[in-house]
Amino acid sequence: MDAARELRAVETLVKLKRAGREFEVEILARQGREVRARVDGRELSATVDRLADGSAILSLEGRRFRIVGARRKDAILVAVGPRTFDFLPAQSAARRARPGLAAPEITAPMPGKVLKVLVKDGDRVTAGQALVVIEAMKMETTLAAESDAIVKRVCVAPGDTIDHGAVLIELSPAVDSSLIQSAPEVR
Amino acid sequence: MARRKLKVLLIANRGEIALRIIRTARAMGIKTVAVYSEADAHSMHVAAADDARLIGPAEAAHSYLNIAAIIAAARESGADAIHPGYGFLSERPDFARAVDDAGIIFVGPPAAVMAQLGDKLAARRLATESGVPVVPGIETAEVAAAREFAAREGYPVLVKAAAGGGGRGMRVVEAAAGLAAALEAAAREAYAAFGDGRIFVEKYLARPRHVEVQFLGDQHGNIVTMGERDCSIQRRHQKLVEESPAPGLDGAIREAMLAAATRLAQAAAYTSAGTAEFLLEGGRFYFLEVNARLQVEHPITEIRFGCDLVAEQIKIAMGEHVDTPAAPRGCALECRINAEDAAAGFRPAIGTVLELRIPSGPGVRFDTHLARGAEVSAFYDGLLGKLITYGADREQARRRMSGALDELAILGVTNTAAFVRDVIASEAFARADLSTRFIEEHFPDWPREGRAETDAALIAAALTAAGALGASPGYTVGRNTAAQAGDRSPWTRLGSFELWRRS
Repeated sequence: MDAARELRAVETLVKLKRAGREFEVEILARQGREVRARVDGRELSATVDRLADGSAILSLEGRRFRIVGARRKDAILVAVGPRTFDFLPAQSAARRARPGLAAPEITAPMPGKVLKVLVKDGDRVTAGQALVVIEAMKMETTLAAESDAIVKRVCVAPGDTIDHGAVLIELSPAVDSSLIQSAPEVR
Repeated sequence: MARRKLKVLLIANRGEIALRIIRTARAMGIKTVAVYSEADAHSMHVAAADDARLIGPAEAAHSYLNIAAIIAAARESGADAIHPGYGFLSERPDFARAVDDAGIIFVGPPAAVMAQLGDKLAARRLATESGVPVVPGIETAEVAAAREFAAREGYPVLVKAAAGGGGRGMRVVEAAAGLAAALEAAAREAYAAFGDGRIFVEKYLARPRHVEVQFLGDQHGNIVTMGERDCSIQRRHQKLVEESPAPGLDGAIREAMLAAATRLAQAAAYTSAGTAEFLLEGGRFYFLEVNARLQVEHPITEIRFGCDLVAEQIKIAMGEHVDTPAAPRGCALECRINAEDAAAGFRPAIGTVLELRIPSGPGVRFDTHLARGAEVSAFYDGLLGKLITYGADREQARRRMSGALDELAILGVTNTAAFVRDVIASEAFARADLSTRFIEEHFPDWPREGRAETDAALIAAALTAAGALGASPGYTVGRNTAAQAGDRSPWTRLGSFELWRRS
């Protein structure tokens, strides 16, 4: 039998973005230490040897990388040797499909502190309305809604310390949700 | 001065330096008292000390810069001495005076010495009187006088605050047209940052090296020097990589610099550890300033001279004589690991340390206060640690540094580890092409990530998303992890990351 056929057919498709670039990674199969993945359309074979501390040695194209991974609320963090990569979820088809919403969430443009939260869960807001005031780099910055929306959830409170890219407020479209046909979750 | 045995030392600082001072005091049989802000209650330095006192809220102005609270903590804990570390109150003469007035030993130079050296103009005058060369310059806020000076010495010129340091209020002016605006802006910034609007205009050296001399002075008038450090690799006037000795430094120039530092320290009646900083260009050196405190990069001197500079400071504070240093050996390198995004103009970063791998091995030392779960906040300086390596020669120290940096991983706080690894591994660093322009000359477009490395990162990210990599389930740290974030986390909601499981 073809060795590849013995690999367990699975598993994961992840759409990620980093520094404005989007990536698509699919783990096609995994068996033991063998991993087959499709990275932006290129099929790659790697071996992954897990270490006791949760990190691993990833061998790819004749090179060995020590990798460490962790999940955070808003990101997947990976270290390849000393270099770290912060991947955020790429906007999903379902999210993009929401009509009339410029951005589904208000995120911190830089690390800092939340000074004021001007809205609460369920509030109806209009384009340009101030939502949250942060202090970063010794400056106050007011973050406003880019389009009419409903505040789905306020994720921070005054005084919270926030990292670059942290989600501060989640928004829903300002239209009647029963009119939106949701995109399929599974393909 | 009478000898006093020191029994209890309070460390008026935080982070790696507080921990480092505690370790030395412990080895000397001295009890230690840590002070901490509300943000640092769970920090390593608090756990390491024999006693710990809360001194205020997270804001440094109300805690680590709060002189009254620190002196009160010293009194309550029975401390007979205070070590200020670096940064915070370490170069504030009013603090040294307040400690002295409270009948507590200040581990550092006397307030009057600090005041003289802390004023750039007074320090410059002292250097000139001691026969130490200085960069040509004048104190003026007058545009006409500045223009005349610049026309005589040639552009570019540097406009900077007379008080303070750390690159704040500094401006390079390339031509006469920009001078007036630079003077005005520098005066405004200097006043805002230091409460002192005096301005200094000096000749700007195009491609200098930063070389500094470590010295120790005791209370009996003895001064000894302990070699030099090259700290040319800087960003925004802040050091990133330091080494000792300064590679390729002419022996006669080295001797002249050590002698100049000795004359300066003697003229200032200096006690404790101090550093004379110089710029070196075209075979000439110019006095920059004296840092009247322990420097961040002091370990590279310790490693070459086989000594403990904090122990020396404590012994000097107790009235002991300084010893003639042993002959230095080999080479030492230090890389600062800062919470900064080197790919985004060294923008400060914060976060929770989710994963941590610390290097070790022959000739490797890592001074850090980090631990898994540690919070790095926007309240304090973002120095996460200092990686120091020793080698019989520069190349061995460099290779050990490169290997140690490959072992280092800090996940959760964006940091400079990968940047300094690329610096150390570069051909330009290997041949010691050092100047304060190193980063803009050799690393203008960092990072240059290889495709294999990015592919490895993406596969690792997918494996992490699938739960096949990382800490075992149920193990969480900090506030921002998925499990503790509960249903607010997109990870617990199917589809948020477009994570599909088939079969």
